[in-house]
Amino acid sequence: MIKEVHMPKLSPKSDEYFFGKWDKQPGDAVKTGDVLFEVETEKAISQVESQEDGTLKAQEVATGDTTKVGDLVATIEVA
Amino acid sequence: MTTKHQTSTPTKAPAKPNWLKVTYDQKKVDKMTDLLKGLKLNTVCAEANCPNLGECFGSGSASFIILGPNCTRACRFCDIPHGHPKDVDLLEPLRVAQATKKLGLTHVVITSVDRDDLPDLGADQFVRTIHAIKKLNPKTTIEVLTPDFQGREDCLDKVIAAGPDVFNHNMETVRRVTPLVRNRATYDTSLHVLDYVKKHAPKTMYVKTGIMLGLGEKDEEVYQLMDDLRAIDVDFLTIGQYVQPGPKNYTLREWVPMSRYQEYYKQAMKRGFKFVASSPLVRSSYKAKEELEAVESK
Repeated sequence: MIKEVHMPKLSPKSDEYFFGKWDKQPGDAVKTGDVLFEVETEKAISQVESQEDGTLKAQEVATGDTTKVGDLVATIEVA
Repeated sequence: MTTKHQTSTPTKAPAKPNWLKVTYDQKKVDKMTDLLKGLKLNTVCAEANCPNLGECFGSGSASFIILGPNCTRACRFCDIPHGHPKDVDLLEPLRVAQATKKLGLTHVVITSVDRDDLPDLGADQFVRTIHAIKKLNPKTTIEVLTPDFQGREDCLDKVIAAGPDVFNHNMETVRRVTPLVRNRATYDTSLHVLDYVKKHAPKTMYVKTGIMLGLGEKDEEVYQLMDDLRAIDVDFLTIGQYVQPGPKNYTLREWVPMSRYQEYYKQAMKRGFKFVASSPLVRSSYKAKEELEAVESK
């Protein structure tokens, strides 16, 4: 089954962030709690953890992209 | 999670250092946010967009900001909205006390926006909040982080009499930089606040202050500030990195290297502070509980 990963709300005051970098690549195994990617908000670099166990299937955004809360960021194939 | 604040497109600022990397567990943060929203409470964590929010909310701790959300001053470093203040909410103290209980906080930090519009400058709401917390949470230690109350001693007397465990008022920065970043606040008024509290509070009440680095301050200016604070016997000092909230705020001058935080820690301890926290992500209420415990167990 494919699970979609959407951009979470990472800052109380804004809904748009710069996408930082990927910590997992397509094909990598991911576990709940693994850092999937980093996002730059006004005051921090937020590390976003996976909420699923599975395999990263696709990355939908790239470093430097502006992303909005709710945007599709990745898909994970879960068993 | 929704917010009433306007959203804005981020502007690319100088690259952030690696130590600004934080983890953010949305489920835990949402749980905390929902609870606070249900009680109609504001936190300085969310209002100031604190980088430690994920960690603190994730571990169930928060610092409440009363009398808000709008502040009557427009300090250039600050992210708290400046605007027309709202009527004082007389039920807010009870809700803070209830939230303290619900979260099982053993140490609670209460701060406020500046309320230069009120005859008591907001002092009475601090008093009501301290009393309400004590009533519902007799074992919880209380830390207040107050405005300068324009240096008015009658306001300070009221808050001292309510009996918080820690009285915190932030100097924010060194003398020279103060007029560049603070609005309607002076270095000497803030020193007077700390001095007055130290002289008039019971010996068991700790007096605390904090500063930000990265605003262009020089070593000798920081050491002068430490000397000024020790001359009036301030107990605790926190030192952390300024992070520019947005393009309109005071321009960040420098990401201060860790070695300077370590040197300032040594210099401050040598001068006789009881407790010093000096590290980039230190904020005045960050891990305040651990700070008090460390001093009490000595």
